[in-house]
Amino acid sequence: MLRYWLEKVWVQNTVLAVLGIISLYYWGWVFDFGYDFQWPILFTVNDTYQLNFGVEILNGLWLTVKITLISSIIGISLGTALGLARLSDFKPLNWTATCIVEFFRNTPLLVILFFFYFAFPQALPEAGRELLFETQFEFWTATFAVGIYTSAFMAEVIRAGLQSIPKGLLEAAYSSGLSYVQVLRKIILPLAFREIIPPLGSEFLNNMKNTSLAMVVGVADLTWQAQQVEALTFKGFEATTAASVLYLSFSLVIAFVINGVDGRIRSSSNGKNSLPVMFINLLLIPINFVNKILFHPAAQFLRQRRRKNMQAGVTTNTSQLLLKKLYTVLVLISKGAFLLILAGLVFSLAKGFYNFDWSVILKELPTMLVWQFPNATGDDLFMGLGGFSLSFIIAIVAIFASFFIGLIVGLGRSSTNRIFRIPSLIYIELIRGNPLIIVIYWVYFLIPVLFDSFINTVWSAAIALTLFTAAYLAEIVRGGIQNIPPGQVEAAVSSGLSYWQTMRKIILPQALKQMIPPIVGLFIAIFKDTSLVTVLGVMELTSVTKALDNRLMIASMELWTTAAVLYFLPCLLMSKYAKHLERKLSPEQINLKM
Amino acid sequence: MRISRVLALTLALVMMASVAFAGPSYDRIMKDKKIRIGIMTDSIPGAFFNDKGEWVGFDYDVATELSKRLGVDIERVKVNNKTRIAFIQQGRIDASVANMTHTREREKSIDFSITYFFDGQKVLAKTGKYQSLADMKDKKIATMQGTTSEINVKRALKAMGVANPAAHVISFQKESECFQALQMGRVAGWSTDATILLGYASKTPGKFELVGEFLSDEPYGIGLPQNDSNLRNAVNASLQDMWRDGTYMTIYNKWYGADTPFAMPMSGSIELWP
Repeated sequence: MLRYWLEKVWVQNTVLAVLGIISLYYWGWVFDFGYDFQWPILFTVNDTYQLNFGVEILNGLWLTVKITLISSIIGISLGTALGLARLSDFKPLNWTATCIVEFFRNTPLLVILFFFYFAFPQALPEAGRELLFETQFEFWTATFAVGIYTSAFMAEVIRAGLQSIPKGLLEAAYSSGLSYVQVLRKIILPLAFREIIPPLGSEFLNNMKNTSLAMVVGVADLTWQAQQVEALTFKGFEATTAASVLYLSFSLVIAFVINGVDGRIRSSSNGKNSLPVMFINLLLIPINFVNKILFHPAAQFLRQRRRKNMQAGVTTNTSQLLLKKLYTVLVLISKGAFLLILAGLVFSLAKGFYNFDWSVILKELPTMLVWQFPNATGDDLFMGLGGFSLSFIIAIVAIFASFFIGLIVGLGRSSTNRIFRIPSLIYIELIRGNPLIIVIYWVYFLIPVLFDSFINTVWSAAIALTLFTAAYLAEIVRGGIQNIPPGQVEAAVSSGLSYWQTMRKIILPQALKQMIPPIVGLFIAIFKDTSLVTVLGVMELTSVTKALDNRLMIASMELWTTAAVLYFLPCLLMSKYAKHLERKLSPEQINLKM
Repeated sequence: MRISRVLALTLALVMMASVAFAGPSYDRIMKDKKIRIGIMTDSIPGAFFNDKGEWVGFDYDVATELSKRLGVDIERVKVNNKTRIAFIQQGRIDASVANMTHTREREKSIDFSITYFFDGQKVLAKTGKYQSLADMKDKKIATMQGTTSEINVKRALKAMGVANPAAHVISFQKESECFQALQMGRVAGWSTDATILLGYASKTPGKFELVGEFLSDEPYGIGLPQNDSNLRNAVNASLQDMWRDGTYMTIYNKWYGADTPFAMPMSGSIELWP
């Protein structure tokens, strides 16, 4: 009976609306928050500081937009270069690219930012440093660090996209007489880009959210401004809400543009364009116009000349042969130069390591691994474990908890019933539209306000990480479920299995197997993300490193390198394991030479 | 059917969790015989972890002494400049001894004890390079985000005729980051409470010095929950007793005495009620 009614869309809509109204009423009028909401701080001039915080927050947003745009450009260009380099035949280039990508993918952005800001200028001579500091050093450090970090992820997306092209297509293209450049331009790139756009889009979104970390080097971006409002007025709830709304809107704008690009590339020939596609088309009108006027005639002329040449038959003259030789020599020279630069870099790196104060590392390593264990004081959980162990514990808690939430929300998201789908959708988009640091603040401010109670910051951090990860996991689950051919569901249902039986016996076993590699990737991300909970003062690896750095002050390089290695090693092992699984689960995958 | 039951259950749980438990902190402290005090972890020599991994410092000792005078056990909670006030508001801690300047803006959110420490804001710079803040008004100054020092520096720069003071101030999340920025020459000066600056300067003797006049007075108070006068009175009385019987000076000399790296002459006296 209930099921019959629940299948009707209007019933679903009504239930959702009623639930929405009830919760609005409950949270809005009945529930006593025990918190003094002061929304006017967001749009009036504060008497004490003579500042309009709303304007300050908007200034922060503008800076966030700037960092996002520039770092995206850095990310995509460097990412393309790295992705192509990883497919190169020239081994040293290939290895270097692999090293760079693996390093940035397996080290927290926070640690990278600290490195670029505090350690990198020390390596420069005095004059260079002065020159560097004349610029907006904070802004550019943050932008480059975020851009390079993103490029590592984009490189992987691009490489995977290039490798996803069926081998047969390439063979056909080569055997029909196309040259490598032609194959690249006409077959590989168009096909690859169609594959790449959706994951690339989510990298752009991640990039935007990563810019929130710029605040740790003193860049007054959106998160920084929200923090500032909180610090000056203690109205964290209002400030975080404002930042959250702005981040969400920005995410939606980016998603809109990406949807448009995606739709356009898929060249919808049915004549009905969606709104995002129309928007992109509108943007492209001037470009098309310029293209028609300037490049079109040129291209036509070139094409005609090429046709004529082709009809004239194959003739090679000596100058062409000479040019070809010159080209080979040039390639050789650049390879040699590359090797030289690489050797120089390795040498200076080795020299740097040689000059390290290793005794400091040896002495402080136990502290970094376990912090105060077993000297627990007061509010310490887990017998006073801290540092690396606490990072690990938080990550494991978040992994287990988020798995179950993610599975349920993912199932809800792929359900046809709106009562489940829409709340799941809202949850996923709310969380995914915000940077983790904002989610951390949310949990931190919201739990006391909602439950009129407090919890240990370690738990607060673990809850935030769990909620954040669950949203991403839910999307992986949805993808996995959607990859199962619909025929299987139909067969299962028609053979009399219920929804839960179908899910448990048919869909999930297969989908979970497919999901393992991305899930492991997510776990790497969680482990790295534990570095962010340092903002709450949780004594995990990053906080401990900071505390040690604070006390010793003379060994920043050594301490931060050790921290980076401590993050890097487990992440690398996990990612290697993910690769291994991927290969094991799809044995037909063959790497093709491009 | 099942769904409605789940929903009802969830709602009931949410409501149960929101049952208020907070009451006057003083009564609870006396009933449980335990006071939760927020202390910093990386403010040298206020409260920090020494090279043996022990939590020590001036604030640490004051907090310990305070709990002793109140006749209750102490639970030490780690706080930073971001969490110390929020924790009091949320009831996570009963008091925060965390080098916190008593300001009118903060008074709107929490209460303060009488001043238990007298500090003032100064600027730290490379030795011999600058005479005062005015000399570095074209350069950058480091401060910590969300502190009174940040606002004071901006105000001081504005008074010196700097058009856009915000552009000359870089605010970091931690003291150590400010110091590192100063060390690498990114900023000309770092401004915060003199005791903190002294603590850092003592790490590399002779390289850095305090310059110029005090930019402000920084009277430190113990942060307490709003509207709990029993607790505030008890804390104030304990502080005064500490001062009267000399315990305060013993603790002070242990951290700021003449033969310590952070030597600073006592510059005030605790307000004593007859």
